[in-house]
Amino acid sequence: MRILIVEDDLEAAEAMARGLTEAGHECARAADGEAGLTAARDGEFDVMIIDRMMPKMDGVTLVETIRREGDQTPVLFLSALGEVGDRVAGLQAGGDDYLVKPYAFAELSARVEALARRRETGSVQTLLRVGELEMDLIGRSVSRQGKEIDLQPREFQLLEFMMRHAGQSVTRTMLLEKVWEYHFDPQTNVIDVHISRLRSKIDKGFDRPMLQTVRGAGYRLDA
Amino acid sequence: MRLPRIFRTTPFRLTLLFLALFASAASAFLAYIYVATAGEATRRTDQEITREMRSLTGAYERAGVDAVNQSLIERAASERPFLYLLMTKAGKRISGSIEESPVEKFSGPPTWTTFQVVDQAAGGGQVRHPARGLQERLAGGEILFVGADVGEDEAYVVKIVRALWGAGGLVIVLGLACGVLFSRNVTRSIAGLTAVVDAVRNGDLGARAHVRGARDEFDELAEGVNEMLDRLERSMAGHKHAGDAIAHDLRSPLTRLRARLEAAYLDVEAGRGDPTEALAQALTDTDGVLKTFGAVLSIARLQAAGAAPDPALFDPAELAADISELYEPLCEDKGIDFASEFTRDLQLRGNREFLAQALANILDNAVKYTPAGGAIMLRVRRRSSGEVEFSVTDTGPGVPDEDRARVVERFVRLENSRNEPGAGLGLSLVAAVAEAHGGRLQLDEGPGKVGEMGPGLRVALILPRAA
Repeated sequence: MRILIVEDDLEAAEAMARGLTEAGHECARAADGEAGLTAARDGEFDVMIIDRMMPKMDGVTLVETIRREGDQTPVLFLSALGEVGDRVAGLQAGGDDYLVKPYAFAELSARVEALARRRETGSVQTLLRVGELEMDLIGRSVSRQGKEIDLQPREFQLLEFMMRHAGQSVTRTMLLEKVWEYHFDPQTNVIDVHISRLRSKIDKGFDRPMLQTVRGAGYRLDA
Repeated sequence: MRLPRIFRTTPFRLTLLFLALFASAASAFLAYIYVATAGEATRRTDQEITREMRSLTGAYERAGVDAVNQSLIERAASERPFLYLLMTKAGKRISGSIEESPVEKFSGPPTWTTFQVVDQAAGGGQVRHPARGLQERLAGGEILFVGADVGEDEAYVVKIVRALWGAGGLVIVLGLACGVLFSRNVTRSIAGLTAVVDAVRNGDLGARAHVRGARDEFDELAEGVNEMLDRLERSMAGHKHAGDAIAHDLRSPLTRLRARLEAAYLDVEAGRGDPTEALAQALTDTDGVLKTFGAVLSIARLQAAGAAPDPALFDPAELAADISELYEPLCEDKGIDFASEFTRDLQLRGNREFLAQALANILDNAVKYTPAGGAIMLRVRRRSSGEVEFSVTDTGPGVPDEDRARVVERFVRLENSRNEPGAGLGLSLVAAVAEAHGGRLQLDEGPGKVGEMGPGLRVALILPRAA
């Protein structure tokens, strides 16, 4: 997909572009807010990665401007400001996700994928299907190969998120943020334990594991 | 030239101002007294002179100049206090008690004049008295002068004026003296504070103002200054400690990281082995450094803000249930029995995110230090004081009494926990969150020793009730 990177730290932008290009994406870059605005207006992008603090025009103003102009391209904010208030301000301006610097590339990449995916599934779904796995969002039931799987409410939410991002790497931080809505880093591996519980329910007794651990990144649900 | 210090003080200047105001008021008052007394005396003399003049002109109109002459002679004998002079048209003396008219230029209309008469003093010498008189031309053209010795009046007025000047001087002297006393008093009270400010400016944060116990505004100010300095000193000490601690805590992982990268570089340069593992470890080390950095930043921001950002009203039991749900599987995985007990329908005002993180940090610690087979209990209750208390009790080794205050400080990790991961900032952040919410963190012994277990630790996060 086409990604616009608006970031004044050229080295960081270079590393980001290299990584995303290697992952098969096409990247365009802008080094300040005004250039970013021009690029955003000119090009068709699937996702925009925008730094919050930049010369000429800051990221928040940039996003507010394109949103006013009707551009709904998903935006991932990058920022050195990580406090709750900063994040809320970023999201209120029209950002779709917020990543605090410094970040692991895997985290960035997973979030970009997630943002692009969200755009594709615009319509309201009542049934999610990933391979043998089926989730009925109305009946709140899950089955694999037609066999009913009993899940706790949080496990259901966790699996729903994994199914909506099937085939993509999902990081622990993303899960904590999107499923539990916490924005801090626990010192212990709380998320791993929840995943392993979920895994024992959906993979145990089946010939092939669906919930994979991605080394250095997080987890992935494969069809 | 510089004025002595006392004259430059605000109280002294205020005194001068009030003195000036008072002096003007006093002058107005004294001027009134002067007019009412001295002025009145002069007016009365003038009236008497005028009456005498009327009486003599009346006699003249009735019986001519001889009658006036006769009256003057009679009056001279009766020792009335008036001075007379009757003159011809040309100004030549006809008769009277004085030799010549004190009026130098007389053109016709009645003329008042002030002059001096010479009198024989009791001791033999001459005494000059002030006098006042009126000169008029009579209908027949003769000139008549009537005057009066106002020596006594004048002496009286001089006394009054002297008394007024004396009173004015006294007012000014007393006022200045009061001003000096008052200024000295206030200056002395402020001097203590000034000394403290000077000491602090020179870097001595330990200086404190003396509270005299008078319970006046100076004491209030001194107490306020002292309290401010206490806070400042604590905060400075905190920052200094944080600075030292950051340097210490970041330096060791950074040193490790550098060594690892260097070794990997040398290995690759020499064509030996695979640097992947060294790089992976370097990444892990970097993440550790960043995590420490983030925690330090959060604490610093909370402490700098002094209050929890974006406070909202919520049910603490709900928050605790959320966090329990997050940690319960972890406990189960480690073979720890997890239990919870929540009092419902309590209200708490605060930043949910920070409080969640605080609870998570406490639970992280509990899980980290509680061995398999142990137990952790999370409780939410209302204290009798009305405060809301979150408490986590574990059956781990606990913290010795003498170390409990210390573990809350930044970066303190007890010796026996050096091997556990974690930057040692967990409880410091909890303490910072508690303080930002106007609450406190309290550490106590857990349930006690049972076999190999215990005595355990009870960590309580106590927050004020929602207003």
